[in-house]
Amino acid sequence: MKKSKWKFLSTLLLSVVLLAACSYGGESTTTSGEKEDGSSSASGPKKGGKVSIPIVADPTFNPWHPNAYAESNVINRVLFSGLTQPGKDLAPSPDLATKWEASEDGLEWTFYLRDDVLWHDGEKFTAEDVAYTFNEIALNKELGANNASYFQKVKEVQVVDDFTVKFMMESPVAALPAYLSFNTEIVPKHIFEGNDPWELTSFNKKTPVGTGSFKLKSYTSGQSVVLERNDDYYGETALLDEVEYKVLADANTHVAQILSGELSIFALDDLAALDRIEKAKGVTVEGRETTRFFWLIVNQQVEKYQDVRVRQALLHAIDRQNIIDTVLKGYGTIADAGIAPALKEYYTDDVTRYEYDPERAKELLAEAGWKDTDGDGIVDKDGEPFKIDFEIGIQGDLEAVSQMVQQYLVKVGLDVKLNAMEWNTMIQDVVVNRDYEMSLNWWRYPADPDLSAYMHSNSIKGMNIPAYQNAELDKLLDAGAQASDVEERKGIYLDAQKLMADELPYMFLWYPQEAQVRVDKLKGVPELSFGDALHYIHEWYIEE
Amino acid sequence: MEASTQTNVTSGVAVKAKKRKNTLLNRLRQNKVAYFSLWFLIVLHVVVFIGPFIWTANPEELQEVGALASWSLQHPFGTDDLGRDVFARMLHGGRVTLLVGLAAMLFSLLIGTFVGACAGFFGKVVESIFMRITEAMMAIPNFFFVLVALTVLGTSPIMVIVVIALSSWMEIARVVYGETLKWKEYEFVEAANASGAKSMRILTRYIIPQIIPSIIVSGTLTIAAAILTESAISYLGLGIQPPTPTWGNMLQNSQQYIWTAPVLGILPGAAITIAVLAYNFLGDGLRDALDPRFVKK
Amino acid sequence: MLRFLLNRLGQSVVLLLIVTVITFFLINLAPGGPASTMRMEASPEERQAMIEKLGLDQPIYVRYIDWITHAVQGDLGISFTSSEPVIQRISERLPYTIELTVFTIVISVIVGILLGVLSAIKRGKAQDHIINFMSVIGLSVPAFWLGLMLILLFSITLGWLPSSGVGSRGADFDLWGWISHLILPVLILTTTVLPNIVRFTRSSMLEVISQNYIRTVRAKGAKESIVLYVHALRNALIPVVTIIGVLIPRLLSGAVITEAIFGWTGIGTLIIEAARGRDYPLVMGVTVMITIVVVVCNLFVDLVYSRIDPRVKNV
Repeated sequence: MKKSKWKFLSTLLLSVVLLAACSYGGESTTTSGEKEDGSSSASGPKKGGKVSIPIVADPTFNPWHPNAYAESNVINRVLFSGLTQPGKDLAPSPDLATKWEASEDGLEWTFYLRDDVLWHDGEKFTAEDVAYTFNEIALNKELGANNASYFQKVKEVQVVDDFTVKFMMESPVAALPAYLSFNTEIVPKHIFEGNDPWELTSFNKKTPVGTGSFKLKSYTSGQSVVLERNDDYYGETALLDEVEYKVLADANTHVAQILSGELSIFALDDLAALDRIEKAKGVTVEGRETTRFFWLIVNQQVEKYQDVRVRQALLHAIDRQNIIDTVLKGYGTIADAGIAPALKEYYTDDVTRYEYDPERAKELLAEAGWKDTDGDGIVDKDGEPFKIDFEIGIQGDLEAVSQMVQQYLVKVGLDVKLNAMEWNTMIQDVVVNRDYEMSLNWWRYPADPDLSAYMHSNSIKGMNIPAYQNAELDKLLDAGAQASDVEERKGIYLDAQKLMADELPYMFLWYPQEAQVRVDKLKGVPELSFGDALHYIHEWYIEE
Repeated sequence: MEASTQTNVTSGVAVKAKKRKNTLLNRLRQNKVAYFSLWFLIVLHVVVFIGPFIWTANPEELQEVGALASWSLQHPFGTDDLGRDVFARMLHGGRVTLLVGLAAMLFSLLIGTFVGACAGFFGKVVESIFMRITEAMMAIPNFFFVLVALTVLGTSPIMVIVVIALSSWMEIARVVYGETLKWKEYEFVEAANASGAKSMRILTRYIIPQIIPSIIVSGTLTIAAAILTESAISYLGLGIQPPTPTWGNMLQNSQQYIWTAPVLGILPGAAITIAVLAYNFLGDGLRDALDPRFVKK
Repeated sequence: MLRFLLNRLGQSVVLLLIVTVITFFLINLAPGGPASTMRMEASPEERQAMIEKLGLDQPIYVRYIDWITHAVQGDLGISFTSSEPVIQRISERLPYTIELTVFTIVISVIVGILLGVLSAIKRGKAQDHIINFMSVIGLSVPAFWLGLMLILLFSITLGWLPSSGVGSRGADFDLWGWISHLILPVLILTTTVLPNIVRFTRSSMLEVISQNYIRTVRAKGAKESIVLYVHALRNALIPVVTIIGVLIPRLLSGAVITEAIFGWTGIGTLIIEAARGRDYPLVMGVTVMITIVVVVCNLFVDLVYSRIDPRVKNV
């Protein structure tokens, strides 16, 4: 009996030891690259090395494909090139196009292209590729291409000569060069012609051919995409040997792997782990401005929300700074209107601001006729209590933010029921059917102050989800879209921001900053958001 | 004449059932772990269901002290990532979690007993159809269906309960089926049958009461499984959604804080484990206590 | 025997058919179709284009008939989200799940039988109680919580094991990298099936030990260890084979959670992606594939069982 007792114990012990032994072996392989280089090494950029970037799902190597989401964008902007790219000041700067100009009436845009660009398969890039990409893919309504909505005003793209194209417009769009820098890369006509661009999986899923500074080396579904330097790149040849994108669905893993040196750079979406990363050696977190704004909306097709005092009251009721500090860990600025501080030339905070002031919120509600007459803690009007159905999609920190917003609204006497639903169901209710009362989300837009798509009355069927209508704002937005002079636009958008802040088509919450996590040995990354910095990946280098 | 036999039989059954109950509790008392689990569960339910009336903090309200505050007299377990009282959330979350477990158990008992009893009692076509369905349901990895169903149909508490119940009634059906077959042969049932009682009446009045002990065992184990399933679907973000707290979604939420505030995950995880453990021990204890071999020993 | 097999096969086909009908109608009747999965920015025209392109404007029964006629010819369609054949997407992922489950089942069976036998031999003694206690704990701990705790310990605090991923396959494959990525997932998945095997082995063993012929062997003066391991265990293992069949669905269900915790890119993470992305053909494909795997495993278990236990043949 005793003997078998020992046998049992020893089996247990053996398994523990075995486990520990295995683990010990692991230690020796994973602890590396911990060296502090306080000394010299001001050697500057040099060739070699690779960076690893996390993506959350398998990519689609086609920037226009409806299934190409964020995980594809970060690869496609390295593999392919657009006519323009975001400059280091975010204003559109040359890429495949060297310069561009608009006709006097703004109805014709001419783009002059580089003549020294080769596709990764050796074919020459020409104006035909640009015309094909737009006429056959982006402007083909039946395809429903990504980002096609930015080009609704484009009638067609004409080839003038081998290296000149003309965009023919229905009405002027001052933001066109900015739109052309935003996930609208050019794809090769010689491969796509005659194929359904969505069905061409040999390209979209296997061997993409681009013009970018890196080309595809290998791709394993569910694992990784490896790009290698394109030595025939038309710009500065890249310094890095390879760029590896690792498919890692879980954000916790991203944190674990950048701490262990297996990843190089990414934008941290969930800031819960921020403390931990900030404490770690060899890794830096920096805030970067982006062109995004978070918003709370009420459906203005519902009568009670058409009263601007109600919208103002809602905004006064919310302690936005506390939410920024709690959920965003300080990575955000309170928003007053839609134009983000990243657009330095246009941004202003000299507008009506809504401090956290629950008493003022109650006053405004009372002015609008909403008072708590029956003493149940909920304001009412004509015997109707103020009930709000608050629908959000489950993604990122939307749930956390919305729970806090709900609590603040409850405090001023609103009966808010929060309903967090799966993303697609939310899209169906809020975006497709417009069957909602209140929602919370964010917009990201190209680096241009033209926000017509989000609040112009003619986009009510499109992205103007709150269904806001204001002839005055429409006029300003139209003027801004048509003015080609920057100074003139500045004046227009200053007025527009003032009007937005007074009227609150959206209840602007904050402009989030991106928390960019980067290992210290990765250098040469310009001070841009992670997504924009990828346009300059040929300048990145590793300093050991 | 007919009437008297019937009363005789029923009273006989009643006496028998009473005896059985007594011995059951006595036998259970001999199994210390199971007996302790029983008491623990009683205390746990009292705490979770009565507790919120004493500890009146609102589990959804943002507290003055802010987020991730450590423990204090006002907030014995501190506050969570948004600044809510963790103790209140544990109490309210436990309420929801245990209620979901109980409701899912009741619902699956209903289905399982119906299917099992009908199959065993009526035999023939009913038997083969019902039991083939049961086997088929057991043979497929039903978590895939739970997942697909909740993703596409939404995650209201009712939906969560129904989906869990629909994926866990099969074991009960099998047990009830076996028991029904056994009890169908007993004299008092045959007597009732001969006296011309309706089948439904025989089933509900004579057979099902006999099966109740087995149903209790299955039910206890089903609660344990249901709580675990609820927490698993919460982990995938498909359970009951915040702001309503459940131990499962508290645990899921704590995942992102695994680096900076691991305590947020340890509490609900431990609570789930202990509750499930107690239900499992109790279920095992009850089963042993009902096992005829127990007597021989 | 042949009749038995044919009978089972027929049942399996019916089962498969029912599974496809239920799943197909479930996903297709749900709110928020594939057109909703597009970006928030997509315009109504873009959504409409998508719906027409995917053929979702057809009535549901037409789509089902279309799907099933292709499916029986081995064509599971094209994935909505990646435009690749569903078969290809599944075959990319299935090997990882098989790897995970095979390791788990092998370890669980070996350890489970050892512990089960030990527990039976030491019935009522401390070892029996400890094993029993541990089994109940194993059944009660939420797998993902245990997973998180192990990650907290081994990956975050100690830094010994990777917290996620399948390791690198292909050119830069290394053995330790592979094993280190397997340890935690296999450990977690093992806890979901091991307790059942232990318990089942124990009761099966107890039954055999109490039978007459063992007493006879024992009375003949055979060594105790021979009695136990040669005579008793061999007979006790027969019913254990069946539990493995029963455990396979459980194992696959457990794999979904395990894969989600450890970012294991198998069939479990694939079905989650497919359901979230409303990739109807992929959801159908994975469901069909999983059902087939389970059905085949069960058939196989039945076959083995009838081989080792002659009594089954008479049934």
